[in-house]
Amino acid sequence: MSDTLTEQKPVKPPKQKRPASLWSDALYDLRRSKVFIIAAVLIAILVVMSIIPGLFSPVNAFDSSTCDLTIARQGVSSAHWFGTDNLGCDTYSRVIYGARISIMVGVFSTLATTLIGGLLGLLAGFYGRWTDTVLSRLAEVFFAVPSTLGALLILAVVGRDNAGIWTVVLALSVLAWPMVLRIMRAAVMSSKSQDYVVAARALGAGPGRIMQRHILPNAVAPVIVVATMNMGVFIAAEAALSFLGVGIQSPDISWGLMIADARNRFLQAPEALLFPALFLSITVLAFVMLGDAVRDAFDPKLR
Amino acid sequence: MGRYVVRRLLQAIPVLLGTTFLIFALVYALPGDPIQALAGDRAVDPIFRATMREMFHLDDPLIVQYGYYVQGIFTGDFGMTFRGVPVSTIFEGKFQVTLNLALMALVIEAIVGVGLGLIAALRRGKAADTAILAFTLLLVSVPTLVSGFVLQLVLGVQLKTSTGIDFFPVAGTSEGWRSYLLPGLVLAGTSIAYLTRLTRTSLMETLRADYVRTAIAKGMPRRRVLGRHALRNSLIPLVTYLGADLGALMSGAVITETIFNLNGIGRQLFDSVYLSENSVVVGIVTVLVLIFIAANLIVDLLYAVLDPRIRYE
Amino acid sequence: MRVLKGAQIIAGTAVLALAVAACGGGDEATDPATGGAGAAAAPVTVEIAEPQHELVPGNTAETSGAEVLNALFIGLVNYDADKKPINQIAESITSEDQTTWTIKLKDGYKFHDGTAVDAQSFVDSWNYTANGANAYEANYFMGSITGYAEMNPADPDGDGPQAAPAATATSLSGLKVVDPLTFTVQLTNPFSGFPTMLGYTAFYPMPKAAFGPDGKVTAAYGESPIGNGPFKMAKPWKRGVETTISMVRNDEYTEAKAKVEAIDFKIYTDLNTAYRDLQAGNLDIMDQLPAEVIASAKAELGDRYIEQPSSGIGYLGFPTKVGADYAKSAELRKAISMAIDRKTITEQVFSGTRVPADDFISPVVAGYRQGACGEACTYDPVKAKELWDSNGGPASGAIELGYNADGGHKEWIEAVANNLRTNLGATVEPKPVEKFATILDDLGADKWKGLFRMAWIMDYPSPENYLKPIFAASASSNYSGFNNKEFEELLKKADSAPTVEEGIASYQAADDILLKELPYIPVYFYQTNAAYSANVKSVKIDPFERIEIANVEKA
Repeated sequence: MSDTLTEQKPVKPPKQKRPASLWSDALYDLRRSKVFIIAAVLIAILVVMSIIPGLFSPVNAFDSSTCDLTIARQGVSSAHWFGTDNLGCDTYSRVIYGARISIMVGVFSTLATTLIGGLLGLLAGFYGRWTDTVLSRLAEVFFAVPSTLGALLILAVVGRDNAGIWTVVLALSVLAWPMVLRIMRAAVMSSKSQDYVVAARALGAGPGRIMQRHILPNAVAPVIVVATMNMGVFIAAEAALSFLGVGIQSPDISWGLMIADARNRFLQAPEALLFPALFLSITVLAFVMLGDAVRDAFDPKLR
Repeated sequence: MGRYVVRRLLQAIPVLLGTTFLIFALVYALPGDPIQALAGDRAVDPIFRATMREMFHLDDPLIVQYGYYVQGIFTGDFGMTFRGVPVSTIFEGKFQVTLNLALMALVIEAIVGVGLGLIAALRRGKAADTAILAFTLLLVSVPTLVSGFVLQLVLGVQLKTSTGIDFFPVAGTSEGWRSYLLPGLVLAGTSIAYLTRLTRTSLMETLRADYVRTAIAKGMPRRRVLGRHALRNSLIPLVTYLGADLGALMSGAVITETIFNLNGIGRQLFDSVYLSENSVVVGIVTVLVLIFIAANLIVDLLYAVLDPRIRYE
Repeated sequence: MRVLKGAQIIAGTAVLALAVAACGGGDEATDPATGGAGAAAAPVTVEIAEPQHELVPGNTAETSGAEVLNALFIGLVNYDADKKPINQIAESITSEDQTTWTIKLKDGYKFHDGTAVDAQSFVDSWNYTANGANAYEANYFMGSITGYAEMNPADPDGDGPQAAPAATATSLSGLKVVDPLTFTVQLTNPFSGFPTMLGYTAFYPMPKAAFGPDGKVTAAYGESPIGNGPFKMAKPWKRGVETTISMVRNDEYTEAKAKVEAIDFKIYTDLNTAYRDLQAGNLDIMDQLPAEVIASAKAELGDRYIEQPSSGIGYLGFPTKVGADYAKSAELRKAISMAIDRKTITEQVFSGTRVPADDFISPVVAGYRQGACGEACTYDPVKAKELWDSNGGPASGAIELGYNADGGHKEWIEAVANNLRTNLGATVEPKPVEKFATILDDLGADKWKGLFRMAWIMDYPSPENYLKPIFAASASSNYSGFNNKEFEELLKKADSAPTVEEGIASYQAADDILLKELPYIPVYFYQTNAAYSANVKSVKIDPFERIEIANVEKA
């Protein structure tokens, strides 16, 4: 464990003739990052899968006549690559068709929480004093609401007659942005007192410029980590809500719903749970890798 | 410092009011008559309904009902359930159970999460790092119910029936701290994943910092560099997360409590939502918010301890 | 009116519950609950869900509370293997006209506090339950006794602005104490099945000590009820706080003493958890098992797994008067019924814990006819489609299937939805709601248009109980809006027959009307699936799905 400490990144040869902008540097790095390429390919596949599921599965999972209750809970076979679920439907085609809702819920909830929480966290951490007080207390009002309970209540009240992706995204986001705010705020607070920020300020840089050029790149790392993890948690949380009778419901298909449906019979038919869980994991993995690559590319300390 | 604490506590009042009002309003807006829910499936006696609605101010506007509730809280009265049981009686023992469970989960996630994150950061890019990444993803994507089932079956039933080792109780709280081991581990699942990732990232950042390089260059023992400089300076986001997580663990324990038959508030909360028992739901949320505020305050104070550059005037 | 919500089946239900003293059952006597007996033997442990109310007979109309009270109380009658009432406390229950009943009691029965079980103790208990102001769950059981209407005035406009008139009586005018061991019961209508009702929880007697100075049942009584049965409370039980209800044997019991010294009822919220405790030897008896474990229970437990018919029926109901077009047409209802593959659903979804239903009357009571439903309950996708198409089914809109998400109904509803989509070519929308009461609210307000799931478990073993409370026009549990003159006439005729047996033909004729009209579709009959540990033996389940607790023995 100790030898890694001495293992420093080899100093990169100075790059030539490129404008010394952080963003273009980052883009340049990303294009050369293996991790980024793998993540981007995976995400591209998942996105295509969400848009045109028919490309991956010959069986239309929305067609209930393809389900045969007499062959419920069967294992992997040549006819059913991932086995069948409790109702005798083909798990493979359902996993493919379930990608759309799961990824949409995950992506949009993550986007909403990261943008709102990130922005407010930046402001709270940077300006401190009453801005911090007001924003932090506002965040706490929402943060203090127990999340599953809050989402259940919101969906039961708002979503009873218009259940769907957007009400789920709303219910999940409303309660999750304060966490991003806190992480961002903490990171900003600690980088605010760094020498280079003090120096920039002394040189007369305005608050907008300091935030954009100096604080954000240094504070964004923990936010990206939490955001990419959140992605998976949102997809899984959607499952919990489906199970409580609010949120996404059949005939819609989502990975969360599939996991929720399969969990009681997990010991009898593990395939019906493991495959959607596997796809969920791969999706989260892709976004975590993307997050890692992006963070590394933006991290000035790595230059 | 003292003034800071007082100020924070004063600021907690609007948070408390805001959150409880939010919850109160949502429960108020739930479809269905709570008096009907009380009666289950049969028709409610109209006189009984009228008396109950009068007694619980159900026909008053939302804000007036909330006013009655807050008035009660300030006199230390959490109110009654529709079945005439004081809410404080419902709480009896349950907060203890859930707090025990949440603290056990917190300890487990702190040890496992920080441990795994540490290994992943130090072995960055190697097999151990990848394995840990895969493990954390598994934690996120496998639902609590399944991990609970499996642990209960393997460690609770099969270990006992096959080897006679009766160390992990299947359910209940009769075996003291041992009763909380399995449920604590299950409850900690997702949080372990977060904490591992956070630790890894945070530690990697610090390991690149100049003072760590300097310390290494000076020839300081590596263990000391790691403990003194790197880990301590990576702790801020971790502590932030842990502090915020206590409340989340307590309120999110419903499935864990159900699987392990623990009589805690997580389950009570959901049961009461189904019965539209506003007094119980808001009562529990009030206590949870207080715990949450206290935990956050402690976290903020810890910032100053962990990072001398942060000052609270 | 016991409508089954399946509330025990799943996490997150409206059933509260508490932690459990999970000691190594059977190996050691560490549980302080047995302290009262001072015995060395560990109590026999029984799984229940948390009773919904305090332990008072009149306020108990669900299975867990009834299971507990069954150990503390005995009633006027008990039931034999054919579900026929046999007198227990009653010496005789007789009537000339099926309307006025004379009940004579045997001498010598005593409550746990030593007072005699007399006619007054029954009358007091029944009066209290019948009083609408007490809002007791079992209130409706008293509905057939004269004077009930005066105690429970109907609201003239439902939930509307007009207040209900005040009750004009506080006791049932139909109950009269003749002497300490005799009382008479006057019914509003003739009912030959009256004696079969009397073994249920609602009709247990309560001693004088139950009532406080204000005439109300005291809170202390609810925590520590004084009964007349084979067991008595070892200590008070605080509902919502304690997770074990402890009882010890009543050694002054008039009949044969119970075989074990102590019983602990342990409260679980999740049957899967309870089953694993049973596997690990921490729990002795479960009177119901979750479908997921049936296969393994059969294999692992052998003789210690019990399977027998139960009184429950699962239906899909229609709002026949105010619903969607497919709900209003008897032909379309029949088409829907024929498109449901009951056999495969009971086998695959319920793992054999249910069997396909073929009558409105349960197989556990006299009057059931196998295959009575005939074509309508037989899976025939081709005929179903023909019937659906030729009666305007395709134009009747999307079929909604409502169910409560808290009761473990999702799978079978989804399976039915797939059947209907595939076989009728219809658009089907399963509609989960958070709790059953929401569906019932909507039905009551005529807002529910589609199908809704429904279940019924009998209150007393009589065919009447499967017909009248659900389908009579005035019945409180009539959610379908079914209203049929001929049906009412036949019920009346059957009720006033000199004996239940003689009324059966008329009940069956009434049943035939239902089978033709199909206001509900019978989908499955419940089965009792029970199991017990190697620590006990002689475990039997009675027709009410209660354990015959006095006969349980230690292995």
